[in-house]
Amino acid sequence: MTTRDVSFTLNGRPATLTVEPRQTLADAVRQHLGLTGTHLGCEHGVCGACTVLLDGDAIRGCLMLAVQAESLSITTIEGASPPEGLGVIQDAMQRHHALQCGFCSPGMVLALEALFAHTPCPGEDEIREAISGNLCRCTGYQPIVAAALSVAEKNRANLGAAAPSA
Amino acid sequence: MIGQRVLRVEDKRFLRGEGRYVADIALPFMREAYVLRSPQPHAKIVSFDASAALALEGVDAVYTAADLPASLTPIPCRIPTHGDMTPFLQYPLARDVVRFVGEPIAVIVASSRALAEDAAELVAIEFEPLPVVADAAAALDPATPKMYPPGNIATQWGFDLGKVDDAFAQADIVVEKSFSIQRHSAMPLETRGLIASYDKARSYLEVWGPTKVPHTNRAMLARMLGMRDGDIRFAEPDVGGSFGARGEFYPEDIFIPYFAMKLGKPIRWIEDRQEHFASINHSRECTFDVKASANKDGRITAFDVVLVADLGAYIRTHGDVVPSHAAASFPGPYAIRNYRVKATAALSNKTPSGTLRAPGMFEANFAREQIIDMMAEKLGMDRAEIRRRNLIKPDEMPWYVGTQSVNRPTLFDSGDFPGLFEESVSHFGWSAPLAKGEGPVRRGRGIVALVEPSGFGPFESARIEIDPAGFATIFTGASNQGQGHETMLPQVAAEVLGIAHDRFRVRHGDTAMIPYGGGSYASRTAVMGANAVHRAALAVKAKALAAAAQMLQAKEEELTLDGGRVIVTANPSRFVTLAHIARVLTPGNAELVPAPKDFIKDDHDGLTGEVFLRAIPSGTAVFSVHMADVALDIGTGELKIERYCVSGDVGRAINPMIVEGQLVGGVAQGIGGALLEELAYDEDGNLQTGSFADYLLPSSHEVPRIEALVVEKAKSLSNDLGVKGCGEIGISGVAAVLANAIAHALGTGARPTTLPLTAERLLDLVEPRP
Ligand code: FES
Ligand code: FES
Repeated sequence: MTTRDVSFTLNGRPATLTVEPRQTLADAVRQHLGLTGTHLGCEHGVCGACTVLLDGDAIRGCLMLAVQAESLSITTIEGASPPEGLGVIQDAMQRHHALQCGFCSPGMVLALEALFAHTPCPGEDEIREAISGNLCRCTGYQPIVAAALSVAEKNRANLGAAAPSA
Repeated sequence: MIGQRVLRVEDKRFLRGEGRYVADIALPFMREAYVLRSPQPHAKIVSFDASAALALEGVDAVYTAADLPASLTPIPCRIPTHGDMTPFLQYPLARDVVRFVGEPIAVIVASSRALAEDAAELVAIEFEPLPVVADAAAALDPATPKMYPPGNIATQWGFDLGKVDDAFAQADIVVEKSFSIQRHSAMPLETRGLIASYDKARSYLEVWGPTKVPHTNRAMLARMLGMRDGDIRFAEPDVGGSFGARGEFYPEDIFIPYFAMKLGKPIRWIEDRQEHFASINHSRECTFDVKASANKDGRITAFDVVLVADLGAYIRTHGDVVPSHAAASFPGPYAIRNYRVKATAALSNKTPSGTLRAPGMFEANFAREQIIDMMAEKLGMDRAEIRRRNLIKPDEMPWYVGTQSVNRPTLFDSGDFPGLFEESVSHFGWSAPLAKGEGPVRRGRGIVALVEPSGFGPFESARIEIDPAGFATIFTGASNQGQGHETMLPQVAAEVLGIAHDRFRVRHGDTAMIPYGGGSYASRTAVMGANAVHRAALAVKAKALAAAAQMLQAKEEELTLDGGRVIVTANPSRFVTLAHIARVLTPGNAELVPAPKDFIKDDHDGLTGEVFLRAIPSGTAVFSVHMADVALDIGTGELKIERYCVSGDVGRAINPMIVEGQLVGGVAQGIGGALLEELAYDEDGNLQTGSFADYLLPSSHEVPRIEALVVEKAKSLSNDLGVKGCGEIGISGVAAVLANAIAHALGTGARPTTLPLTAERLLDLVEPRP
């Protein structure tokens, strides 16, 4: 079994892992680092449960090999959460009952993080588009959309921004 | 606290990625298992050679049926069935014949899952293919070769109530139609998984991963392996959804624990998604041939139904429960006394089937509610009006349908069906004009009414312990796969005890902490679990008042429990807190029970309350109305759901936010079942659906805004809280209402009778083709 070392920034800190070349990034953070908030719902790139942020963009941890993370910056749900309590998006999701079993939730939070990072005040269509690659079997998405809209609303008030583009 | 929209305490860990699902658990010296499954739909196993796999470094074992105890029985059916199912039961690992693609043949145990998969490629199996029974139609054909000595039909049964033939002879109109519901499944986002660990010297087997009915399944494992119940612990971790599919006693539930015992090391098995498609219980596949009659006044006079369900290759733990429910409850919320049904459970070379949220009801509603629309059309009557004229009235409650399912009478204990119906119709604006269609777009509106039996027994347990710091723990026999029990059950206890709900913790699904539990299905946590917690809280209260009377030197009648304190009603400055009482009632505390001088005596048992509740077999019943507006593009077959409203009379909503979540989430799942999801087989019995690329779950684009109207009109008369449950009504009517709306949009008498309602199928209904 050949292995390789890969070094990257994980949740803001340097990390070096010894991995099999075929190991996915999601498996690597789960198995080597015990960061089990990155979930595996399909392992073929459709469900979005494995979503992590790569330099701020939402990507699928099950489709990327760990070795491909060399020198890049990866954020998992553990890194995206505040030390205690809930971040803005997480808090809105709780308030809107945007989760039931919670299995999709880390991926949803990160998909929305990526959206809000470049679109602070998205409209409903943009939100639905941003989470369209994240399956949720429990909620019907409606409360997730409502949670995201409430964050957009807050951002708009803070920014004094104009109406959403969609 | 009951009735408040309390935010869920479990959300924080889930949102932070701190939920602990089975794949997140690891044990020292743990090995990983891969289940080698049949690629053949029906074949003899001629030879099996694992020598090359075993030669791989890191491979511990390749286990087959020969490694299981020789005395091991097939997996028993644990639910009453129509007739003897023993010829059709499945052994945990195939012995000499495989009967569906995905049937477990061997278990490879290795140092990693990837290695176990590599090893699986090296196992050489020679098969001799046998003729395939592709579906129920083939099973019913006497010319088809037999899968089992008794044949390809597991059982047939029926009911013949009233005078169906007379009703047809006398009716003003008779309609007939056939309907077909496709094979699909619960498809929770988390696949299944187990970790088993055995302490041989102390004879203690621990299994993490079982859920839904852990106590029932532990008992089954103990029976099958000849072990003692108390030597086995089943523990439920966080679970990523169930929707009916996680409670079977699956083959893996036996062989993973057994091989962990045999190997002497913990074994973890985490299913991958492709495996899940072939191994989770399938559901829903059936056909209905329905004939119905009515009089000019809209009174429905009879239903005559032929139901054929395709249960797949084996009968498993849930027997024929799905068609059984469909047959028993087909008449729905209507006062129909002439009802005949002939039901057949057929076998085919496909994955065995079991329950999926609203088992049998989603299917029956799809057929019945379309037949009712057909009668309305034939009578020239408004489609809401015909339903209105046939709903069971409050003064006709309790309503015995006259059928039974799994030895339970079909009984609606209470309900104001017309009340909720009118409220729903006026909320939606049933008679408001539909927007006109533009170009190829046709608009239609649908309505369905349904009743969902819920809260099945036989029993439930709850224990509440208050500790000397005033924190409370609820131990419930209900299990949790995401429904919010950790929030909702404390609300019930808090209502009685006045302790803030966030001072509670809920422990569930662990047989080591909870001696007896019924688990979660059919909305039974609200109905049975919450009522058990309620009574356990009342028991705590009674104990607290008795102790406080002694502590305050007052009479119990002079005391009130308020805000976590027992106060002297006339003089509120005199009080003791529940924490204080818990301290005093701690065993060994001498304040109220001084140490005996010369002989041992009974002591306090803490500020605790424990309750075991026995249910009425028929449970309760939830009435629901679904309405939808759709826009169908007759050029492309594209369907847009423009408005959707689901209402339900839940008796009492413990947490309306959670209830709405169940309704909306249920509808979303129903949209999947109605429009997208199908476990497709080719005619040779090969499962064609192996990924989410070909089994389509509804995404954020497919699920529209859904209005949920939660009503508390008719409390259940069969439990203290008056609750009826809410888990199934959301999904139950979706296919039915969309079909009715589509038929209305077409306006030609054409109906979508085959699920899923794909664009292609809808286009086929358009006449003349544009
Ligand atoms: S696990 Fe990566 S997309 Fe599903
Ligand atoms: S909350 Fe269960 S899958 Fe989204």
